[in-house]
Amino acid sequence: MQVFHDAATQVQCPSIMDWKQSGRPVVGYTCSYTPGEIFHAADILPVRLRGIETDGMEVGDTYFGPFICSFPKCILQLAGKGKFSFLDGAIITPGCDGMRRLDECWRKAGEDFKGIVPDYFYYFDVPHKSEDHGMSWYLDEIKALIEGVERHFQVNITMDKISAAICEFNKGRRLLGEIEDLRAKDDVVVSGTDVFAATVAGTVMPREEYTEALTVWVAELKKRTTSLSRGKKRVLLIGSVSDEIDLFQLIEDTGKAIIVGENLCFGIRYEGCEIPETGDPLAALASHYLGSSACPRMFGKYKERLQLLKERITKSKAEGVIMQNIRFCDLHGAENALFERDLEAMGIPCLRVEREYGPHIDAGRMKLRIAAFLERI
Amino acid sequence: MTIVAGCDVGSLTSKAVIFQNNRIIGSSIIKSKPRPGDSAEAAFAEALAAAGVAAEQVEYCIGTGYGREKIAFVNEVVSEITCHGKGARWMLPTAETVIDIGGQDCKTMKIDKNGNVGKFAANDKCASGTGRFLEVMAKVLNIGIHELGGLSQKARNPVTLASTCTVWAQADIIKFINSGVPLEDIGAGINAAMAARVAILVNAVKPEGDIFMTGGVAKNIGVVELWKNSSANASSGPGKPIPKSPGRWGPR
Amino acid sequence: MRPEIREYRYDWLMGSTLKAAAAVPSGSKKETEQTYRYIPNYQKVAKTFYSAGEPGVLALKLLATYFENILTAHDQGKPIAATTFCNSPVLLYAMDVVPATFEILTALGGVLWKRGMFDYMDFCCEIGMTETSCSSQRGAMGAVLSGLFESIDFVVCDTPGVCDTNANAFAFVSEYLNKPFFQLNYPSSIGDDRSQNYHVDDYKAMIRFIETQTGKKLDYARLAESLTEVDRQDALIADLEDMLLLKPMPLPPLFSLALYCGRFCFSGHPEYTRLLESLVRSARQRVADGVPGLKSGKENLRVFMSYIDHYTVDMNFYNYLEERGIALTGSILTRNFRDNNKYTADMPGSSYSIDLSSPEAMLNTVAQMNARLPMVRSIRGPYDRPGMWLEESLALAKITQADCVIYNGTPGCRNTWGMVKPFARDMERYGFPTHIMYDDAFDDRVESWSNTRERLDEFFHIRGLL
Repeated sequence: MQVFHDAATQVQCPSIMDWKQSGRPVVGYTCSYTPGEIFHAADILPVRLRGIETDGMEVGDTYFGPFICSFPKCILQLAGKGKFSFLDGAIITPGCDGMRRLDECWRKAGEDFKGIVPDYFYYFDVPHKSEDHGMSWYLDEIKALIEGVERHFQVNITMDKISAAICEFNKGRRLLGEIEDLRAKDDVVVSGTDVFAATVAGTVMPREEYTEALTVWVAELKKRTTSLSRGKKRVLLIGSVSDEIDLFQLIEDTGKAIIVGENLCFGIRYEGCEIPETGDPLAALASHYLGSSACPRMFGKYKERLQLLKERITKSKAEGVIMQNIRFCDLHGAENALFERDLEAMGIPCLRVEREYGPHIDAGRMKLRIAAFLERI
Repeated sequence: MTIVAGCDVGSLTSKAVIFQNNRIIGSSIIKSKPRPGDSAEAAFAEALAAAGVAAEQVEYCIGTGYGREKIAFVNEVVSEITCHGKGARWMLPTAETVIDIGGQDCKTMKIDKNGNVGKFAANDKCASGTGRFLEVMAKVLNIGIHELGGLSQKARNPVTLASTCTVWAQADIIKFINSGVPLEDIGAGINAAMAARVAILVNAVKPEGDIFMTGGVAKNIGVVELWKNSSANASSGPGKPIPKSPGRWGPR
Repeated sequence: MRPEIREYRYDWLMGSTLKAAAAVPSGSKKETEQTYRYIPNYQKVAKTFYSAGEPGVLALKLLATYFENILTAHDQGKPIAATTFCNSPVLLYAMDVVPATFEILTALGGVLWKRGMFDYMDFCCEIGMTETSCSSQRGAMGAVLSGLFESIDFVVCDTPGVCDTNANAFAFVSEYLNKPFFQLNYPSSIGDDRSQNYHVDDYKAMIRFIETQTGKKLDYARLAESLTEVDRQDALIADLEDMLLLKPMPLPPLFSLALYCGRFCFSGHPEYTRLLESLVRSARQRVADGVPGLKSGKENLRVFMSYIDHYTVDMNFYNYLEERGIALTGSILTRNFRDNNKYTADMPGSSYSIDLSSPEAMLNTVAQMNARLPMVRSIRGPYDRPGMWLEESLALAKITQADCVIYNGTPGCRNTWGMVKPFARDMERYGFPTHIMYDDAFDDRVESWSNTRERLDEFFHIRGLL
């Protein structure tokens, strides 16, 4: 379990540094649209870029304007401080307006802070729709990305290797699915914090190492008998991107709640979904990474997301939903209002709270609102 | 007869109240000390003295406020939001909506007949929409904060100012003063800006029934009247403005 | 929302005001003067429009017609589509759909109404829309969602990936009102074959969507008529663009607003052609008379607005420009990127052409034209890539001989605030003093006009421009 916490709480965690020391490349990526399998197939470690461990904002604020979500700012801050010096490449996707501007802000910061832009810096253009020509475009982008990676890193990424990578990734996904089943029981033996740490760890750890550690951990979880959920409220956490174990701890450290599920970008909704292992692997990747995307940046799909949320609430037996959005995240901020409207109408209590991400997190204010909500449900 | 108490440790003031037989028999408000535990002890001691009872006689004590986790002598900690709901219903048995505008935040909530909080909303931006906004503006106008409310009634042409940011609003006020705009018009503009921000939060919980208003800003008649006029649901108006009184109401 | 705001529907309020305002100058000069006494809150705005002569009056008539169309749409059996200014109304009109363009509706309320659109904006926040969402949609949204507007039948937008806060607002409206929604989606580049093809594919999908909503097939003959009118309009716009290059510039600041407002409202419609003809006539007359467009007769400075103008309240911004003798060389909104404009010469792949030879050709025309509307054209990708915002701003600032560049937007503008600082730095490196405004173009409560104005004066003074 410690390996998960290390990976989830340290930008330069041991797993990444060990990989780096073995002489193999590491490529970072933003958002959830970059198929990690492509890099795994090339013996490159794909690492999802996070904003944890940020302790200032002078670099982030120099290039980004003031009215921007702090998540991309934190990533830029870390880059400016050299915390991503282990990267050999970075893939920037237009997840949202704030995240897509990381492309030019990072490059421009690189003019002032020498050496902070990885050698391979690639803009991966992801559409906001997955039907027809949107999916075709995305498939072409995947192919172009593969060609670009092959050319730059002098590797050969075959379809067989990608298929093998999908199989390897799926092992972890299945194990995460088993954990979700454990969390759905009346007596929950694992905290939301620990599960999230394990989920986030999967976005930065070498896959074989991850699968092995997860296998051991799931076996141990299945043997547990001590309930962590008795006398506590079961809550679901949703909203803006979060890679923060702190946020989970803030809720669970009240001693009055256990997070039995989440619907977050770093979480199970992407990390826990299996991809078909037969058929055209590129089509399978495209169908999963774009087609299954449950982010509000895929506009016009609210009803589908609401349905997904209802299913999660039902499965996890959540008694309430905590909906957070990072300040200036209009997508989740507005959608949370619609979720609140619809879920409250179904008798599911909701707490909507706007917050900061990163070094300015206002824990005191958050605690008050969470406490009041838990007292309500 | 059972004696119960409540202690609210805030960042600016700490309060305590002693109850017996569903009546307040002692209370206190003090300026908060650096350590929450010390504030709680001092406020509690003062309230006990006012009530003429000893600490050992108190059977149950609730702690609330930002420093609630640090109060050694309480039996239970409860959030201020929940306490507000209970307190409001106790003071105004017909209250269904509560608005609390304190020095640092602004909260609105719907309560049921037992004072349990349902939907609530709180300001998620900085100082604007809180008492701090009015404090800063009053200081710029060189008047006491208690004088701000009455200016609305004398104004003929209230100004519009940048109300999203307290700092920029301050710049606006200075400009108005330098331009010779009457004090009443500036004050009315400040109250109007505050009322508009409060209205957003209040309307977000869809207020119903009687509305109970608490917190220091409730004493600003300008803000209260303007907000009432802007809210289609403002019924019998705010309850008597009271300083925030802490704790669970009623005997356990 | 204050009770008095609920007394009138917003569309009726604005429509009837504009109709009356457009009719006033048809009386005698004395009657017009008398009218001012009865419109103390609109006097300044009315004078600004009337003093512009025929173009000012035609602009008012055009706007009045815009509201009239919305108010009578359902009576005429036409659906109303909520849409954005970067989605051309040409297709909608060709399919008998009446557009309700949120940003126009918000801007007009801010410009013309002394109390601004604040109540409507706040209503959106009351129902859960984030306060940080762009005010340009939130004003009209509040009117629509609070029931103070004709009901919307469906929603189309083309801003995903270009302006998420914009697209999000429309998505919210569609969910809140439970109305059908369609999003056009643009790739992050423009001018290359792949992007051009994507434009057409997506546009076809939008046509299918609208056909489903209206129950009617797109009539290519009608589209051809509209595009023929667009062709006429583009020629007139090109004339105006040529005149923008002159020193002193013969176009008053208000003409810029009329030019793009008209295009977003009535592209392909004769009303807009008449307005453009009047703008061209007026400007040509000034050229012939050798007088600048500014009332003072003296052009002290030429400013290029790299993004949008400022719309609250009382036409303060445009009057300020007149007051200071500042010629407005346009903004991102002014340009149509038709291939007959000089500024497109240095930007390969940036422009569109009109080809009416076949339905496919017309489809390609309207898809490429739509893809070159403001924001969706140059804000879609990294700002320093070919064809994007930096290249566009440099080309326009240079060709119009701007002395400086001003960025003005809203706090909701995630896409520009995400990189406006490096953008401004690059503009400075290319020799253009650049000022970033921290206000909200549609909401004075973020930064009061008096502060905005003071900061502008400070910039002009410190940089030795005025």
